[in-house]
Amino acid sequence: MRILSKRNALTYAIALLFILSLNFILPRLMPGDPLMAIYGKEALVQMSPQLQAELVHRFSLDQALWQQLGAYFAALFHGDLGYSYYYNAPVVNVILGRLPWTLLLVGLSLLISTVLGVVLGIESGWRRGTRTDRTMLTGLMALNGFPDFFIGMVLLLMFGVLLGILPLAGAISPYSGLSGGALVLDVLKHLALPLASLTLAHLASGYLLTRNTMITVLKEPYMLTAKAKGLSQRLLKYRHAGRNSMLPVITMTGIWLGKVVTGTLFVEIVFSYPGLGYLTYEALLFRDYAIIQGVLLLVATLVLAANFMVDLSYSRLDPRVSYAR
Amino acid sequence: MHVDLKREVTHSSAGIFGITALALIVLLALFAPLLAGYDPIAQSVHSFLAPSWSHPLGTNHVGQDIWSQLVYGARTSLMIGVLVALLSTLLGATVGASAALIGGMYDRIMMRIVDALIVIPIIIVLILVAAYLRPSVWTIIVLLSLLGWQGGARIVRAQALSLKEKMHVAAARSFGAGTLYLMYRHIVPDLSPILLVEFIYAMRRAVFMEAGLAFIGISDPNVVSWGVMMREALEYSYLNVWVWWLLPAGIALSLLIISVTFIGHSMEPVMDPRLRGEASA
Repeated sequence: MRILSKRNALTYAIALLFILSLNFILPRLMPGDPLMAIYGKEALVQMSPQLQAELVHRFSLDQALWQQLGAYFAALFHGDLGYSYYYNAPVVNVILGRLPWTLLLVGLSLLISTVLGVVLGIESGWRRGTRTDRTMLTGLMALNGFPDFFIGMVLLLMFGVLLGILPLAGAISPYSGLSGGALVLDVLKHLALPLASLTLAHLASGYLLTRNTMITVLKEPYMLTAKAKGLSQRLLKYRHAGRNSMLPVITMTGIWLGKVVTGTLFVEIVFSYPGLGYLTYEALLFRDYAIIQGVLLLVATLVLAANFMVDLSYSRLDPRVSYAR
Repeated sequence: MHVDLKREVTHSSAGIFGITALALIVLLALFAPLLAGYDPIAQSVHSFLAPSWSHPLGTNHVGQDIWSQLVYGARTSLMIGVLVALLSTLLGATVGASAALIGGMYDRIMMRIVDALIVIPIIIVLILVAAYLRPSVWTIIVLLSLLGWQGGARIVRAQALSLKEKMHVAAARSFGAGTLYLMYRHIVPDLSPILLVEFIYAMRRAVFMEAGLAFIGISDPNVVSWGVMMREALEYSYLNVWVWWLLPAGIALSLLIISVTFIGHSMEPVMDPRLRGEASA
């Protein structure tokens, strides 16, 4: 436990460094004024000369490159991700305001799709080669082919437009002044469709992995022993085979988190759900690059942190894993 | 490596479905000029026409013929998918095989880069870079390839490591074969089935990413893309036009991705022979 491998720490360091240098270099590589590259021509025209001067000073754009780098890290260290001209607020504040919605969506859909995927995978692998197994395998693989945003659109058209039973956009009804139970219900109603789209889009990953592992696990000698002991089907399936089939799933959760975050970006746009994805979309429309840079840094840090935690928990779950490689 | 990919694919019904659907889309793309009837980006005053003989899928908000857009969209998706898959597989194979052969510090550095790229949410990097570069089709292809080789590199490295110890490679080495010669003469050809599977999955990723990027507004304005069609159609979801506008584009895209997924899955026993004997799913 104590020896968390140097290897992993190094990987995360490289990943973070990659993101940071991209954020630093990209605007400065562009031809012309970096201020213009960061904020775009349209924004620069609207800015007052005072604001421009302040921004130049703030990013130390009038100094040598290495001093700019120093200023960049100093600002990051203070939690300063820059200034959004469109929202007229610090990038950190804008992003933190949107983060809870994305966390809600990502957290719930990752949880539901993984649990459901594992259960389906165990059941399907247990019945390998039967008709049920084949139907599930083909069905889920086909589902895997539908892009998350198209699943979102189909659900939106079905339940929002045609049936009209669920809201089309947003995370809460505006100006409704709801509170308590009514508010929770309202939030859940808005959450239902984006959550369902993401969960459906992601279901196959957990399922396919569990099913594949299940097939190998079922051939292990300890399964024969367990069967010979006369254990019940349920115990065999879930306690012996299922539990051992779950380990690869845990390893993958970190990587899946990245995938679900990506999916959320698209799904939020379909449903105008006010999280980080929709924010990125707005920032792209208004060329508010500081926001996109901030989102990139934050999301990357979150995904890296989650992967790091998965690494840590893994050695607890499987004592065989020694990190002294 | 003695595996018959053709047999693996044609022996599973999913594989056959995948090949058929993919062939259909390829034909659509090849004969696009014959099938389309209109210039897919030519605008006209006839907007929001319902499907008719002259416009099988009607027209969109700026009077472009939707059927023509659908047909030409197949070209964009396939071209980007194939080129990105080719480039990123090549890159992945080169990095993976050279890391396995050279080893040492080089191997360690390359593999840390691979691991780092695997955990980074690529799509946001793409959005950021593409937002600055105002992309053409070619920038998108290069970007997707540069950010899409890491998974392949890891698999190729693992396989190359075991190949390296094989007798014929050791023999070639004892005759003084250099790293490059070994790589392209012995390692890469032996890995070709695995590279093909990797190619298929890279193509799947690229098709998906291109459509996704186009959907959020990052695309070449001179090229028709299913992702762009879906974004534009979604804005008019309150009209009934989505039936012949949004759905065909979405279904075409899904069909392409599903066909590639099925082909890839039917090849999977090559990667993991334990899965062989799978009932024809």
